[in-house]
Amino acid sequence: MPQVLTANRLSDGEVVYLAPDGTWVEGIDAAQVVNDADAALATGQQAERDRKIVHAYLFDITPNHRPMKMREIIRAAGPTVRTDLGKQAR
Amino acid sequence: MYRYDEFDQKLVDERVAQFRGQVARRLSGELNEEEFKPLRLMNGLYLQLHAYMLRVAIPYGTLSSRQLKMLAHIARKYDKDYAHFTTRQNLQYNWPKLADVPDILADLATVEMHAIQTSGNCIRNVTSDHFAGAAADEVDDPRIWSEIIRQWSTFHPEFSYLPRKFKIAVTAAPKDRAAIKVHDIGIIIRRDPSGALAFDVYVGGGQGRTPLIGHLIGEGIAAADLLAYLEATMRVYNQYGRRDNLYKSRIKILVHQIGADEMRRQVAAEFAEVKQHGALALPQAEIDRINAYFLDPAFEKLAEEDLTAQRKTKAFAAWLDTNVAKHKAAGYAIVTVSLKPIGGIPGDANADQMDLVADLAQRLSFDEIRVSHEQNLVLAHVRQRDLFGLWQALDKANLATANYALITDIIACPGLDYCDLANARSINIAQALSQRFADLDRQRNIGELKLKISGCINACGHHHVGHIGILGVDKKGVEYYQISLGGSGAEDASVGEILGPAFGEADVPDAIEKLIDTYLAARQPGERFLDTYRRLGIQPFREKLYAAH
Amino acid sequence: MPLIKDNAFVENTFAHVADEETLPEGAIVVSLKRFQAEREMLLARNTPLGLRLTSDQSPEALGPDVYHFAVIELEFPKFKDGRGYSWARQLRQRMGYKGELRAVGEVLRDQWLFMHRVGIDAFEVRPGTRIEDFRAAMAEQTVFYQPASDRVRNVLDLRHSRPARIAAE
Ligand code: HEM
Ligand code: SF4
Repeated sequence: MPQVLTANRLSDGEVVYLAPDGTWVEGIDAAQVVNDADAALATGQQAERDRKIVHAYLFDITPNHRPMKMREIIRAAGPTVRTDLGKQAR
Repeated sequence: MYRYDEFDQKLVDERVAQFRGQVARRLSGELNEEEFKPLRLMNGLYLQLHAYMLRVAIPYGTLSSRQLKMLAHIARKYDKDYAHFTTRQNLQYNWPKLADVPDILADLATVEMHAIQTSGNCIRNVTSDHFAGAAADEVDDPRIWSEIIRQWSTFHPEFSYLPRKFKIAVTAAPKDRAAIKVHDIGIIIRRDPSGALAFDVYVGGGQGRTPLIGHLIGEGIAAADLLAYLEATMRVYNQYGRRDNLYKSRIKILVHQIGADEMRRQVAAEFAEVKQHGALALPQAEIDRINAYFLDPAFEKLAEEDLTAQRKTKAFAAWLDTNVAKHKAAGYAIVTVSLKPIGGIPGDANADQMDLVADLAQRLSFDEIRVSHEQNLVLAHVRQRDLFGLWQALDKANLATANYALITDIIACPGLDYCDLANARSINIAQALSQRFADLDRQRNIGELKLKISGCINACGHHHVGHIGILGVDKKGVEYYQISLGGSGAEDASVGEILGPAFGEADVPDAIEKLIDTYLAARQPGERFLDTYRRLGIQPFREKLYAAH
Repeated sequence: MPLIKDNAFVENTFAHVADEETLPEGAIVVSLKRFQAEREMLLARNTPLGLRLTSDQSPEALGPDVYHFAVIELEFPKFKDGRGYSWARQLRQRMGYKGELRAVGEVLRDQWLFMHRVGIDAFEVRPGTRIEDFRAAMAEQTVFYQPASDRVRNVLDLRHSRPARIAAE
């Protein structure tokens, strides 16, 4: 199962994803598909120490780069009951 | 209502400065997340699905217009123009930035508000009857005692690292509007035969994973001894409450395991010691001082108003019948401002609505607003002659849905749309049910019905004590909903019974409709849903619901 | 571990002795188990004696024996384990213990003030702690609603112009 590394940005709590260039991006489309889970988690821990993000973890995505679980679908878009808010509204 | 004196203000101001320092230490890296987390939680700051979430305390649910306006201002300036009123009479902002939170707390402090102890394993915000001071059936204003408890519990040095969170609720009326029997400590104030106030202390109620009804542990405690009794109860819990298992760490489990009699004995022994030392005895001067803040506002001498003419407006008449309750003073009324518009999000209010309610309260209700644990707002002291104008103003802002205590007056927790702990969404279910039962005549025909929804077993949406309770569960990544019947959070408190296998999201409205139809077909005159359920038991409902499956 | 007392670092003159270890000369701290097993012998020694209580050990059972100790250490295995706060108040207020009450274990900055308020007067802190941090943390809050074991006038005392009430003595 392909995976993506996610976290919340320390300063404002925004949901972010690890991109191929090592930066943290707001949209899941630009997220890196993780091949090496341990290496990705280590990157996450380093970013936590660097005070960029909090609570990094991996989650499963579908072959067409969408989250599998409701929780991650909602994090990637925003509240389903307020489609005017969150990433889906941008 | 209560106003801070120099000491209360200084305490809150110092706290803001302290948290500013803690946030700075976090952002500079001096504190890591593990160290910072308990500190931010002590200030009501969570990390949720989309962002941080800040929980602001509204002690015993009472706000001034100025305070509500500040809450609206903060929603505009730092958040996304709205906020969520919770079942614990608090308010939650869903999108604050960490770096802004010290400024938000500083703004709150200018109107005598804070986020202290809205999270963490400490004594949380004290909740009370939202009709306090206005209800005809109360023996004293429970907010006097809630305020006394609030002060005693704030930064209590001994009870800030309890085994688990601790919730206290207070009522002074025989009709329990504060769900006191499902709190860690619930207090009923009554008068003893001599006319003195007497406090009955229920201990060990709660919801969550193990719903239990509180036991009467302290009976007829005298006013001056209230804090000593609470301190004794807390000390027994702090010493002997379980710390090895998160799910068994609430005081209800301690009471359940050692038994109510043993709990009573231990608390009594501790109480005798605390009392003997005397330092916690409440000075009458302090009781009087706080009492003075809760004296009746200057009610005019009025006659009961004849509203026959206005009742010709059908929508107003409906609202009058459901959302307006009897006030203790002639010519006045208690108004529930519904935060449950049909298809809306229970408990959410936008900044403009908050401002409007604040203005209306200022003009028409002695500058005071209440937040109810049912996630509505209350204007407690409205002249009956102002009701029609008030209704018009509320109606324009979509705040006059005539559904108080009816099936669409749904309690729902934020669920998976916001909450990090959720298994399933709950707001979507509330919206679907609200739409299904939108017809007001039908709602009124069904009568009082408390429908409560939680997105996981933590039960923030009180589903265990709903006449109908709905619990979101996750079955292999799909949201399902388990229905229970027969709960009550009122004076006749009970925990609901689970009906059977859970339903998929789309099937919930039909299932609820079948339950309602079963009740309507079986009810006897004057029976609420809960009464019919209690008379017949769960079987007829179960049969109807699962017959077709 | 550095030890703070009276707003300054002080030297820890007490040696910790494990239950099976032979007793060294000088001031020692032993477990409750060892104290109970070897009470007579320990009391007969002519050097200061300390006791360490784990967070699940109530001091109540000690009775008048508390007066024999120069130091009682309350262990906080995790900062979240708050039983020590109640044991401290029992010792100070109910049992009249006047010796040093020392917090050991996970004793973090944001707990110091509350510990002080319940009667703890010595703090084993993390290496690297600066004394300025300690002083700053102790000064962050100056307003207290409850009577506790410190001698501070609480809000009720101030509001109603009465002297500080210490919940005992
Ligand atoms: C969104 C963040 C929230 C989190 C992380 C959260 C967490 C929890 C947890 C873990 C429990 C169970 C405690 C236990 O069983 O020991 C609980 C219970 C409860 N929460 Fe929340 N909650 C949240 C939001 C809310 C909201 C929005 C409300 C009000 C609408 C609320 C009101 C309650 C109530 C009334 C209970 C049941 C009483 C109790 O057992 O304490 N919570 N919450
Ligand atoms: S009941 Fe569960 S899902 Fe709902 S707010 Fe509480 S913790 Fe979150």
